[in-house]
Amino acid sequence: MKKKLYILLGVLIALVPLGLLTDAPAWGEWESDYFQKVLGFVPQGIEKIENSVHLKYILPDYSLPGANDIVGYYISAIVGALLIFVVYYFIYLMVKRKKA
Amino acid sequence: MHIPDGYISPETCVVTYAVAAPLWYYGFKKLKEKLNEETLPTLAALSALSFIIMMFNIPVPGGTSAHAVGAVAIAILFGPWVGFVSVSLVLLIQAVVFGDGGISAWAMNSISMGFVGSFVGYYIFNMFKKYKFAPFVAGYVGILASALVVGIVLGIQPMFWTLNGHPEYFPFGLKVAIPAMVGAHLIIGFAEGVLTQIVYKFAGEKNIQRMAV
Repeated sequence: MKKKLYILLGVLIALVPLGLLTDAPAWGEWESDYFQKVLGFVPQGIEKIENSVHLKYILPDYSLPGANDIVGYYISAIVGALLIFVVYYFIYLMVKRKKA
Repeated sequence: MHIPDGYISPETCVVTYAVAAPLWYYGFKKLKEKLNEETLPTLAALSALSFIIMMFNIPVPGGTSAHAVGAVAIAILFGPWVGFVSVSLVLLIQAVVFGDGGISAWAMNSISMGFVGSFVGYYIFNMFKKYKFAPFVAGYVGILASALVVGIVLGIQPMFWTLNGHPEYFPFGLKVAIPAMVGAHLIIGFAEGVLTQIVYKFAGEKNIQRMAV
C-alpha cells in the first residue's frame, strides 16, 4: 500500500496547480470587502481581526510573496507535506523513547 | 470549510476549545498507540494527502469553491480517533503557516472536519462494510456531516451576537448557512468518496484487518 500511496501523493503534488484554476473563494471564507458589497457593512468582529491581527504567515494563502502563483502553490504543497512528515516523525520518536 | 478568525464569537471559540481539548488528549493517546515503525510512513503519507487534497479547490455553483478533506480514509484505516487527530494536526499547520482557517477557530475546524468527518465516515463504513462502495459512501456522507456542522455553527452566530442591530461575527443565519455548506458538499462529496475508495483499495483487505485492531 505504501508504494501506491506515495505515488498518489506525488501525482497530486505534481497536479496541485489545478487547485488554482478557480478564483472563487470557499463559502464562508471571504475577504472583508465581500461583506461590504453584500451587506453594506463589515461585521465588527471580522473587521477587528482584519485590522488588528496582521499576522505574518510564512506562506499566506499558499503563496510565496513576490513569487508566481504556481511556484508559490508548489512550494506550499511541498513545505506543507514535509512539515507533516516531520511532525509525525517527532511523535514517533516520542513514542519510541517512551517504550524503550 | 476552514472557518477564519473573527467569523465565530470568542464565546464559541472558548466552548469549542473546551470540547476539543479532552478529545485531542484522548485521540493523541490513540495515535501514539497506533504509531510504530510500520505505520509511520503510511500515517504520515495519509495526513500529507489530506493536506494536499485540501489544496484542490473545486468550483461549485453559487460562485464559491470547496475541497475534499481526506479524513474518512484515515478513519477507516486507523480508526476515527486517529483520523480526528491527524486532520487536527494538518489544520494546525494550515492555520499557523498558511493562514488558512483561524487559530482561534482551530478547535472548531478540528471538530467539524476532523472529529465529525472521521466518526461519521467510520460508522457509515462499518454499516455498509459488506458492499463494494462502502468507502465511497462513507467519504460522501462523512464530509457532508462536516459541512452541516460548519453550517450550524456559522448560522447560529447572528442569532446570539449582534451589535447595534448588526451581526457582530458571521452575518448569515441557519437558513442561509446550512443549505450553502451542505449544498456545496453534495458535489465535493464525490471527491471525498472517490479519494476514500482509492485509498481503501490501495490498502488491501489484509492490511486493513491488521491495522484496524
